[in-house]
Amino acid sequence: MTTDPSKMSANERLRHDRLTFYQEDIERIDRLLAEFLRLSGAKCALLIDKEGHLVTRKGEVRTVDMDTISALVAGSFAATKEMARLLGEQEFTALYHQGTRDNIQLSLVGDRTLLTILFDDRTTVGMVRLYASETAKKLGEIYRQASQREEPDIQLEADYGSDAKKKLENLFD
Amino acid sequence: MVQINFALKEVNCKVVYYGPGMSGKTTNLEVVHQKAPEENKGELTSISTDGDRTLFFDFMPLDLGNVAGMRTKFQLYTVPGQVYYNSTRKLVLQGVDGVIFIADSDADKLAENIESYDNLRENLAEIHKDIRELPHVIQYNKRDHPNALPVAELDRQLNKYGVPAFEAVARSGEGVFPTLKSLAGLVLESIDKLNDRSSRPAPRPAAQRPQTQRPAPQQQEDELAAEEMEQEAQAPQRRTRTAGARSAGGRTQRAVKKSAPSRRGAGGARKAQTARPQTQGGKRRRTTQADMAPAETAEKKGSGAVLAVAATVLLAAACAGVVYFFMQGKS
Repeated sequence: MTTDPSKMSANERLRHDRLTFYQEDIERIDRLLAEFLRLSGAKCALLIDKEGHLVTRKGEVRTVDMDTISALVAGSFAATKEMARLLGEQEFTALYHQGTRDNIQLSLVGDRTLLTILFDDRTTVGMVRLYASETAKKLGEIYRQASQREEPDIQLEADYGSDAKKKLENLFD
Repeated sequence: MVQINFALKEVNCKVVYYGPGMSGKTTNLEVVHQKAPEENKGELTSISTDGDRTLFFDFMPLDLGNVAGMRTKFQLYTVPGQVYYNSTRKLVLQGVDGVIFIADSDADKLAENIESYDNLRENLAEIHKDIRELPHVIQYNKRDHPNALPVAELDRQLNKYGVPAFEAVARSGEGVFPTLKSLAGLVLESIDKLNDRSSRPAPRPAAQRPQTQRPAPQQQEDELAAEEMEQEAQAPQRRTRTAGARSAGGRTQRAVKKSAPSRRGAGGARKAQTARPQTQGGKRRRTTQADMAPAETAEKKGSGAVLAVAATVLLAAACAGVVYFFMQGKS
């Protein structure tokens, strides 16, 4: 459920307007995903935000176009969420796509990210679901801790705006 | 919603092409895909019907490259334009950072354009986004149509918030890049503002900025000071280290000093005199005669006269007492 930004404090509004990931959190998440892959036998784990942007990934995947994969995963999840709403469910928190060789399991983590797991016949959907569920809980805990602490004082460089302008000029000339 | 990933050193933004069916949203994206440099673009993916109408969305990543150490990427989406695909449009709009509204210039399509723009405003409102605050631009496409309405008329009917508008013939590629460049600039500007004012409320809408009535300098400074003090009260330990934030802090200091006389006028001279050292961070300053305002000097003179009269009365009373005791003793 989206909260009305007009009722938020300045900091809540900032968190609402942008999603920031810091090195420290990503390192913790990466360790967790690596452990998940070792236990479940899955090939690849991707963490994607609900807008379809990749947050981090562990393991191997054949396609290199992570942007498109991320956008399609988010689109697929958004469509399923709408189906859930129409059926009177708040959200389907897990999704499973079965292929002839590769399969995909999606789990909602927190309220903003999707844990996407690619696996083949070297493991089973049961194993993946079991460990994915545990990993999702641990990821949720990392997010909770990150949301409660003061945001690290790391900002985009002061010349980000001017540099972006130059890059835009070059790209569209 | 902008994603800033300091671990991957990436900034990701979501841009959506919106507009009525057959207005040229997918054509715009195809032109961007054809003409953008190879190293800057990803694959163009379409989820469309057999008849080549967009069913869910078209998608294409556009990489701006390394911007101040951060790889900055735009994810470009289109929506299906047909009225009955509204639930799909809402899904694509989730987390949007900027919108390019593609209008069909044909006179017969005016009503559809207006309906689609209203639909955009409503769908944004449902996800708690105000169209006036969201970076967006309008493109009047199909300018080569013989039945195309004049731009002034389209502006009057559609461009309610005075956002940048562009003429285009998307099929030939004309106007496609200027439109995208303008919107990308607005989105990057909003990211930069959010970054610079990281602990403050969201920036004012880009589209309205030139039209917004600026407050008078004194009022502006007072508002700034009030805003800063409110934030300091909420998060006293938080200090942004950017140059912009530091200068804002400097302005605040001055604004607090300047606003002191107005409070003094309301609360009385003595009250203000005691309050002033507190507003200067606890540093007390010796107030000399030369520093005082004429009104203060006059008041001091007045209070001196009152003291003199009181001393005279006391002295007279004491003398009377002495005389009285003396007389009693004599009798």
